Amino acid sequence: MSYNTSHKGMPASISSRGRARIRAFAESLLDVRELAPGLGLLFVVLFFTLQTENFWSPETMTAISSVASTIAIVAVGVTMLMISGEFDLSVGQNFAFTPIVWALLFVSDGINQWLALIAALGLAGTVGVINGLITTVFGIPSFITTLGMFFVLEGLNNLLITGHQLIMFQPSITMWLLGAQIGNTPFYMPLVWMVIIAFVFWFVLTHLRYGNWVFATGGKVGPAKAMGVATIRVKRINFVMSALLAGLAGCMQFSYLHTVTQGQGQNYELLAITAAVLGGTSLFGGVGTVWGSVIGAYLLATIQIGLVLIGVPGSFYVTFIGVLLVIVVIANVRLGRFGGNQA
Amino acid sequence: MSRSPVVADGAISVPEKRPAVDRTREPLFELRSISHSYGRNKAIFDVNLVVWPGEVVALVGDNGAGKSTLLKIFAGYLEPTSGSLRFMGEEVRFRTPARARALGIEAVYQDLAIVDQLSLWRNFFLGKEIVHKVGPLRILRRRRMRREAETAVAKLGLTRIRSVEQPVLALSGGERQSVAITRAIYFGAKLLLLDEPTASLSVRETRNVLASIERARDHDLGVLYIDHNMSHVLPVADRVVLLEHGRIVRTIDRGEVGVEELQELIARRAQKIDC
Repeated sequence: MSYNTSHKGMPASISSRGRARIRAFAESLLDVRELAPGLGLLFVVLFFTLQTENFWSPETMTAISSVASTIAIVAVGVTMLMISGEFDLSVGQNFAFTPIVWALLFVSDGINQWLALIAALGLAGTVGVINGLITTVFGIPSFITTLGMFFVLEGLNNLLITGHQLIMFQPSITMWLLGAQIGNTPFYMPLVWMVIIAFVFWFVLTHLRYGNWVFATGGKVGPAKAMGVATIRVKRINFVMSALLAGLAGCMQFSYLHTVTQGQGQNYELLAITAAVLGGTSLFGGVGTVWGSVIGAYLLATIQIGLVLIGVPGSFYVTFIGVLLVIVVIANVRLGRFGGNQA
Repeated sequence: MSRSPVVADGAISVPEKRPAVDRTREPLFELRSISHSYGRNKAIFDVNLVVWPGEVVALVGDNGAGKSTLLKIFAGYLEPTSGSLRFMGEEVRFRTPARARALGIEAVYQDLAIVDQLSLWRNFFLGKEIVHKVGPLRILRRRRMRREAETAVAKLGLTRIRSVEQPVLALSGGERQSVAITRAIYFGAKLLLLDEPTASLSVRETRNVLASIERARDHDLGVLYIDHNMSHVLPVADRVVLLEHGRIVRTIDRGEVGVEELQELIARRAQKIDC
């Protein structure tokens, strides 16, 4: 409130008052954590719009949104968990494990599609329960717990489909709901689900008591506990959420592609963390937003597809992402945007 | 130990007139012949200590004198090995700090007062959020909490943040404690426990924290606090309790001796401890 003090003694012109107001507005904009990644996405989109001829074509839109939607859904769960101060490295394998179980039950064993889906998601959730219990009961870093789970699931995935791929040709209501094209648009159902899920979790984080507790748990466990926040329960619930969303997103991918291999979701654990961090979520907990992670996922997808469009080999994009990630984190640390962890 | 004058640079003033603590009332908290041992090491020997509502009791003594152990017993972090606790006339046993909190005993620690990344209003209401219940959902009443937090901290004159919507990481150690004390008053705490609230604070900040302590007393809270710095203890304490090797060796009432005499007494004692 004291930004005009240096102008004391000068005639208070309208322009200086106007400047103060603009400054106050700019400062309040800085509090919007999604601003920086949003501008980044805008820049990337502009760049590819100018550099390529077919960036806004339906095919490109389909490609970007289908990649981004599933990563974003996984990233939303990972973001919740990261804000509460934990990691989940098993989401990528869960992203394959859940649809594989679903497809095996539903396609091969002929179990009712809904029951099969519920069973598969139940298993995904169980993975989260185990991650949460092991981490909180034994007090070990979730990095290790979920790395272990990563390998456990990878092994199970190998065992379940032994190098084959599962293909589903027959139309079914569940797969339609999770992966169908939306009318004649270039967009598919995962996009709709992503918007719904992001909105729900945005509401949870910012408008529910639970959200308050998630931030407090990851921010500083000591005071949070002292204030009566059930930090252990918050972490456990977030592990389950993260696993469930990863499994659900995997089922959407399967429904969209009509096929699943054990390689589905490879690197997704890292891409989800990357999306979250690009979107402003702190690696140290206590800071982050759902929409930031969604924007982060779109950044990843846009760069991936855009680079292909300008003729860069498809597999090269991760190199670019790696560089971007490090730059963004350096910028965040420099700007002190990761909160009081330096203090 | 500090041998600085009572009124440092005239910055921390000693209010001369203050209503005496009404000790005919029911005591707020009472320790009756409390002893505590850590394994074989006896830390507290047969301590009797009473805190009345609206009274500020300062616990002073050298490192290892047992101040922190006593505070932990008050806060429910430790169960004494022997002796009994009475809170508002009833015998109590705290098995957890949460139990003590539920009765209105609020411990404020400098580094545990606040979650840096949360905005001020979220910190203020953390764990005691005002919510609308809709089915299983507890929806935060954000506008109301924002407004109430704004009003409550308005008197603190916080200068480092622009609004209650901002994360509190910009707040200084003193401001954090002032916020925490204000929060305790707001939520109707009865006894406030402070562990070295003025350690490593500037003069101005110390004054603010002491003002918050006075405000707590004005709201009829009992305050028990540990401090090393006599010049911080004297302006606000109604009673100074000197601990040595786990025993209370001296209790000095504000009315009993003048401020300067008191300072001298403690300084002499402290000198002896300092060697």
